[in-house]
Amino acid sequence: MIRQFVQLTKQHRRETGMLGLLLVLILITTFRTTDEGVDGLFNSRFLTADNIKNVTRQIGIYGIFSIGVGIVIITAGIDLSVGSLMALLGVIFLYLVTPAETRPGHAKYSETEFELQPWLVHHIPEVSWPTAVLVILIIGTLIGLMQGMLVGKLKLQAFVVTLCGLLSYRGISRFLANDTTVNVGDTQQDLTLAKTLGDGSLGDVLFGKLNKGILHSVPMTFVYLVAIAIIAHIILHRSVFGRYIFAAGRNELATKYSGINTGLVIAFAYLIAGFCTAFAAIPQCIYSGSVQPSTHGAFFELYAIAAAVLGGCSLRGGEGSILGILIGTTILIVLRNMVNLLGYPTALSDAITGGVIFVGVLFDQHGASIINRFVGHINRLFGKKNKAA
Amino acid sequence: MRGIHKRFPGVHALSDVDLEIAAGEVVAIIGENGAGKSTLMNILGGVHQPNSGTIEISGTATKIRSVSEADAHGIGFVHQELNVLDNLDVGANVFLGREPRRFGLINRRKIAADTTPLLARLGLEIPPETPLSELSIGQQQMIEIAKALSKQARIIIMDEPTSSLTLTETERLLEVINDLREEGISVIYISHRLGEVRQCADRVVVLRDGKNAGELQRGEIEHDAMVSLMVGRELKRSAHERNEQEALTDGLSIINLRTTTYPDCEVNFQVKGGEILGMAGLVGAGRSELAQTVFGVDPAMGGSITLEGLPIQLGSARESIRSGIYLAPEDRKKTGLILEFDISQNISLASLKDHCSRLAIINRSSERNEAQRQVDALKIKTPSTATTAMNLSGGNQQKVVLGKWLSMSPKVIIFDEPTRGIDVGAKAEIYKLMRALADEGVAIWMISSDMEEVLGISDRIVVMHEGRITGELEHVEFSEEAVMHLAVGGRQVNAA
Amino acid sequence: MKIPALPFILNLSLFLSFALFSGCKKSTLETTSGKTKLAFVTNASADFWAYAEAGIAQAEKEFDDIEVEFKVGDGTPAKQRELVEALLVRGVKGIAISPCSPKGQKDMLNEWAQKASLITVDSDAADTGRKFYLGTDNVAAGRQAGELLKEALPEGGKVMAFVGLGDQANAVERYQGLKEAVAGTKIEILDLRTDEVDFGKARRNAEDTLTKYPDIAGMVGLWSYNGPLILEAVKDKGVLDKVKIIAFDEDPRTLKAIDQGEIFATVAQKPYEFGYQSVKALRDLIVENKTAQDLGVPETKQKFIETIIIRKGEGEAYLEKCNAWKASTKK
Repeated sequence: MIRQFVQLTKQHRRETGMLGLLLVLILITTFRTTDEGVDGLFNSRFLTADNIKNVTRQIGIYGIFSIGVGIVIITAGIDLSVGSLMALLGVIFLYLVTPAETRPGHAKYSETEFELQPWLVHHIPEVSWPTAVLVILIIGTLIGLMQGMLVGKLKLQAFVVTLCGLLSYRGISRFLANDTTVNVGDTQQDLTLAKTLGDGSLGDVLFGKLNKGILHSVPMTFVYLVAIAIIAHIILHRSVFGRYIFAAGRNELATKYSGINTGLVIAFAYLIAGFCTAFAAIPQCIYSGSVQPSTHGAFFELYAIAAAVLGGCSLRGGEGSILGILIGTTILIVLRNMVNLLGYPTALSDAITGGVIFVGVLFDQHGASIINRFVGHINRLFGKKNKAA
Repeated sequence: MRGIHKRFPGVHALSDVDLEIAAGEVVAIIGENGAGKSTLMNILGGVHQPNSGTIEISGTATKIRSVSEADAHGIGFVHQELNVLDNLDVGANVFLGREPRRFGLINRRKIAADTTPLLARLGLEIPPETPLSELSIGQQQMIEIAKALSKQARIIIMDEPTSSLTLTETERLLEVINDLREEGISVIYISHRLGEVRQCADRVVVLRDGKNAGELQRGEIEHDAMVSLMVGRELKRSAHERNEQEALTDGLSIINLRTTTYPDCEVNFQVKGGEILGMAGLVGAGRSELAQTVFGVDPAMGGSITLEGLPIQLGSARESIRSGIYLAPEDRKKTGLILEFDISQNISLASLKDHCSRLAIINRSSERNEAQRQVDALKIKTPSTATTAMNLSGGNQQKVVLGKWLSMSPKVIIFDEPTRGIDVGAKAEIYKLMRALADEGVAIWMISSDMEEVLGISDRIVVMHEGRITGELEHVEFSEEAVMHLAVGGRQVNAA
Repeated sequence: MKIPALPFILNLSLFLSFALFSGCKKSTLETTSGKTKLAFVTNASADFWAYAEAGIAQAEKEFDDIEVEFKVGDGTPAKQRELVEALLVRGVKGIAISPCSPKGQKDMLNEWAQKASLITVDSDAADTGRKFYLGTDNVAAGRQAGELLKEALPEGGKVMAFVGLGDQANAVERYQGLKEAVAGTKIEILDLRTDEVDFGKARRNAEDTLTKYPDIAGMVGLWSYNGPLILEAVKDKGVLDKVKIIAFDEDPRTLKAIDQGEIFATVAQKPYEFGYQSVKALRDLIVENKTAQDLGVPETKQKFIETIIIRKGEGEAYLEKCNAWKASTKK
């Protein structure tokens, strides 16, 4: 039993290490936010129902698109377009659920004189929100597929392809929105259900908003994340396609020499990333209540990459796991929450995040030798005989 | 070098090894993989430190603590994998890290002036400004030697210098070694290719299991003598029985096939089921490219192939694999295996469809069982099927590549340089396997640059030269001269 | 010595480093029982908010029964939501916020208003549960800029306006006021150029305008950094004598340039007052149990803080004041 456990931690060294780091973070945050009369476990503000909901909601959103990016990273690729794509999909989603007349830039539309932006704004149809969600998922998936084809089939560099995506989706979304903010409130549809599904909790969905209970601390985004993670785990770690993803990421040529269409495998990974981004784009859009095309989702791609790397994905490809990505995401979000709850200056937040990633990765790769050297020094200092070697 | 000991964790890599080199002497060091050749040379070259033992240069005891100290003592090292930068020109490579400066800038004129005579000494007639990427592998190797010479090297170590050279380039290198000897420079020559060793060495030092296993002086350097010292026993050259021509099946026919490398040459030949067809030729003759085109990883420019009379779609490795045409590629590490995958993952990679449920979920035990079957059948030396391919020796890696194909149903197996970098013992096993497969009716097409191998293993030989088949030799016509004649582009003389 | 369980060591060392890290600063939470917790959340980071922070610090000093968290956003509603949600978890009773997307944040502002006293600063969100708005009347400020423009360009001429984000309420309103003020004069406002708070682009915008319209007579920077960047572009082109620049806010470079006669004038807000007044108002609402009416907030629920125009000769003095504010926040 213990042996099996040790074996397991050895096989998933990175995940185990990061899980440990996460637990440490949680412990620190829990006990440094205790206060008398706080309605949370151990009187900790970190463990209040509200905070758990806030944190897990964020983990849900970030986790979903990080899984997509992680899978791409495992194919030795990269996806830099996530944040921009979210902005673009956010704008399109909100356009789809608002009447054309209220959309920014529509005033300039005229039947006789053609101008692109107003024309587009006028001709995007208004549909019911479930249809809009479906359209967004399809657009996101298609954009992912397009990027995937460029990388997998035309052998363009992933960094370049998705960098172009990062720039152009952001540009298109700002153009579409006439560089103004598009608000969820502009819609004339009843979005209550959409808001509950996107921003509410499992309890809200099952028992209605007024009740309170444990399930009211489980946000829907987290539920989606769990579902997507289970499916992604099975695909990546149990299915033939997943094996091909790892193989193509490790050694594309050898995979090709085994009769596998690696171009298609890689393209499919980007398709998954596109889908995941689209899936996360909708709750994120509802979460922020509006889409400012210039800043919405900025740097999300980097958070996703950070989460994947923290969780054990190698940027060289062929390495990583869904569990690791989830742990990585959780670390990032908990860190941010910790900074907020402990009252550290917000400006430090990213610096702390960067520092923790760095220390984590450094120790993961060189921890043993650093410690060994340290122990060696101590032994020498105290004149002990070092019988090792 | 005297009484050299080197221990690595868990391995006593060298124990009490002696080596002496006179000025202007060419000493060949041979031995199976893992015999300690590279370790010994790395100690001489300053890469590793010996645990005990002494090194004397011109009679004075010396410690070589780093590569730069080795340089200072006049020891030059030409590694098996070339350490040249192909984005720079010839002169820049020769003087890399020691660029002559003028006003703090690189003095190009001096580099050119100093490089030209070095190149002339090595018989290279190229201007020092030539970009390295325009040179052949053999010429790049010469640049490495030039680099060593420019550092005033008195001893040059060459580790497997000919492993990727063409026959003519090899000849050229051997001439250069001769010239160096004449200039009083010592050469330590490490090679698996006993033919070359016989040609160039004044003395052969054989290592076995990290110990001196014997020495052969100029007159005694014979193939069999070297082999028996290397393996420590008499190794009989496998005199196999050949299959009767009548028993052969149709196998694979290549009809008017044109590759992207030689789009103007049409290739026609046949590999019959049950035979081993050797394909000889110089490096660059287009043999590997031809194999890759037949296997479908490279696109074809025209022509067709048939297997047992049925046409096979070209340009799709998937199609070829489905039909039973497999390739064990030249570069195992890059194209044959995924080094970070374990044995069972490597073996199942091409046949995962046979080990999964309807929802494409892999059945791991079925996968592992098949891998275990192959490990047993091929006698792959490994603790388990969960060992990563990276940790296997060259011979065992090659067997894993084979296992991948044997776990399916092979009709044609193309072996591209099947024994490159594999030691003598494992070579024999691979040959045995090929023969066994042929006996089962599989068509074996073996591409090899090793003349002994081609002559010794094949039932029939075809020779390629610059994209064309220049001739075909039946078993009775086999001779080194005949193959060489065709390989350099000569017409086939019809033997009676 | 071999290390068998690397993960364990990893945890241990991280734990140590964190314990050290967090040990050096005592969490404010533990020291403040009894005090009423208030918070001020900005939309993004800017010197402007540093001056507000000075006002906050002053208020905090005056009233010893409150403690104020000062939080800096990154320009997205998502970040503000993350910050405020954490603040509420921490038990903050009153929040002054400068919402970055007031319309879109309606839902969340309403939710927060239920959990704490909420006022909006600098940019308003009408129809929400916020108690009231405290800040500049941006239309009026735009008009003031327009008046300055009329003064600087009695002959009229072409004028270009520049701003970071064209969709921000204060940008829209200032631009609107600007246009209103010059309507019917010979001054022609060409367009509003946006740079998405990219300083490089802001400067390029100004440069491109100078190239495209050689006869340009005036340039108006609606956000604080626009003024200095316009000035650089104009200096570069060597047309300082031909182009009149009107700036907003109190960027040090703007203030110095005003005294040197390079920038005509600036319309400055009073961020220090924003900070001070908002904290004082929150305290009045929560600690003193006053209502908005008691505080003199009109029916419109908008309490304006006047802007100040700084002309040649006044720049230096104002800069010193700003620096004093900045210094006062460095505790």
